Parts: sequence; C-alpha cells; structure tokens
Amino acid sequence: MRGEEVIAFLKEFISDDSLIVSSNGNVSRQAYNFLPQPQVYLRGSMGLPMSIGLGLALAQPEKQILVITGDGNFLMGLSSMTTIGNYKPANLKIIILDNAIYATTGGQETVSPTVDYLKLLEGLGIQHYGSLNSIKSPSKLLEAFEILLSSKQTAVLHINIEEDIENLENIPWQPKEIKNRFMKNI
Amino acid sequence: MIKSIDILNYLSENNFELSTGVPCSYFKELLIELDKSADIQYIAATREDEAVGIACGYYLGKKNCFLIMQNSGLATIGDAFTSLAQLYEIPLLIFVSYRGLEPDKTFPEHVIMGNVTESVLEAYGIPYWNLKGENWRKILDKALERMKEDSSVVCILVEKEVII
Repeated sequence: MRGEEVIAFLKEFISDDSLIVSSNGNVSRQAYNFLPQPQVYLRGSMGLPMSIGLGLALAQPEKQILVITGDGNFLMGLSSMTTIGNYKPANLKIIILDNAIYATTGGQETVSPTVDYLKLLEGLGIQHYGSLNSIKSPSKLLEAFEILLSSKQTAVLHINIEEDIENLENIPWQPKEIKNRFMKNI
Repeated sequence: MIKSIDILNYLSENNFELSTGVPCSYFKELLIELDKSADIQYIAATREDEAVGIACGYYLGKKNCFLIMQNSGLATIGDAFTSLAQLYEIPLLIFVSYRGLEPDKTFPEHVIMGNVTESVLEAYGIPYWNLKGENWRKILDKALERMKEDSSVVCILVEKEVII
C-alpha cells in the first residue's frame, strides 16, 4: 500500500477533536489533500514534527494529537523521541510512514531498513507501539489505526509503505495562513 | 543581578506556562527555580532545535512557552528558525547565555561563537536585547512587545551572573 492510500484510510478516524501535524514534503501534501482541513502542514523544519506534536499535546490535553511523519523525518528527529518517551503525553500518537527513501528529493535511500522499530520504541519506554511490515488488506490497517488512536497512552505505529507513484503539488496556503487557519479552528 | 524567582514570576504574569531548552551553567539557578515552580513546567529537550519545535507546537495550541539555551545552540537551531518559527510567524522568547566573553577566556570552545553571536542573530534578522540587572523588567517588556507586535522570535542575551 502507498502512503497516500494509508493516509486516505485514516480519514474516518479523524474527528473535530483530532489535531494533525504532518511532516514536510509528500506527507503534508497528502494530509492536505486526503484529510479534513485545516491541520499543521509543515513546509520545512525537517526532523521537528514529533517535537511540534509534543508541544501541541501539552497545550491541548483534551485533543488527540496525531503526528504523521516519513521515516527520514523521524530519523532526523530521533532524539526528540527520547523526550517524548520521558514525558509521555497520553494524547500524543505518532504514525511513521516508512518507504525507506527521501521521496520528495528524488528517492534517495534512507538508513531506515537498519532500524528495528519495535525494539527502538520499546527501548524508548513507549509502551503502546506496533509495526505493519506489509499491508495486504485494508482491514489490518484499520485495526491498527483503531488500536493506536484508542490507546490511553503515548502510542506509535510504524508502517512500511510502498513508494508513491508521483509527488503531489505544493500546498497552496502560505505558512502564515496555515497557522492562522489552524489556530482559528481549535 | 536578577533573582531567578523574580524572572519566573514576571514570565508567569506574562502568561508563560511552559519552558523548554538545553541547560547552560549561566542558567543553573533559573533551572533550579523552574524545577520548583508550580506555574511553569520545564521540558528538558535534547537539542535546541527540538526545543523550538516544542515551543512552536505549544503556541499553535494557543499557549506560550519560552526557551533557554546557550549561544552554541544558535548554531544548531538555524533551520528551526528559518523554516518553522520565522516562516510561520510564531512568536518566541528565547533566553540565550552569552558565552565566550571575558569570563570565558579559559573556555576556548565558547570563544568563536561568542565573537559571532550578535552577527548570527542579526543575520537571522532576530532582534535581541542584552539583559542587565537594572531595569530588567523594562528590557523584557520591550522584547515581549516586539515579539507580539511582529509575531516574531526575540532573543535575550544573558551574560555571566546576570541571573542568579
């Protein structure tokens, strides 16, 4: 399954109480195109989506904060996961869409295949985690989303995905407009 | 010299409920007071750019967070400024220890950054104030006013033993 398909399946789990932080590149473009708007669409700040999610989760404890990030972004911000493992806000959920490449910049390989995500997450003290190595049927994916988003603790879902066929167009909103629309909607 | 508790009370009165950053020995007492504070929580970040991410997320959630870091962090933090805080026009107040000046002459690791600290901030286009023991509230008032008016990042440079 490709990243955009995975994100499209997420749609039915997103309510008014969900706030999404999507990482720069294809992930934020897919979130913009396939999920309810407005959300936090990052244009840059590679490596920071998890820490932005942590800040948002602390400010809005009644909301469900969902960070959607690619593997390159996740690995760049890996040390921020130790902070999350320490503070563990119950309302923070993270989905790692792992295609093992930097898709937006031309498909260069990441080092993600060397990482055992389940052991890594266990080592970070994050108790609720899962990994989907291959998604053969949507039902497995929907079940994993259900478990992730109903968890009463910080939870992380790692999903191996196939490469997207094409990169989507840039998000038309200017960054300031993204911020204003997002904050107005909370 | 400014007492840490007075600064924290000032920040609390100005609606800061969270702080994050990476320690510097110049902020040792401030961090001890923060640890005791019932009004302002401190999140220990692993890197200064991560701290910017946390503070920006907190602001997007409609609350205010200030940052604490050494000026060495200004070198780590560039992209978090230019492609997050500044790009999205997110107001941030950052306390930056001014290492590499005369009291640090036996710390060569701080000297180069000390020499370029103000040029770095100018290059980023970040307004900054040098905190002094006298009239410190007025200095912080000015910085906060600028931060809110321009919805921008502002830095407070803190030399040795200014905050005790």
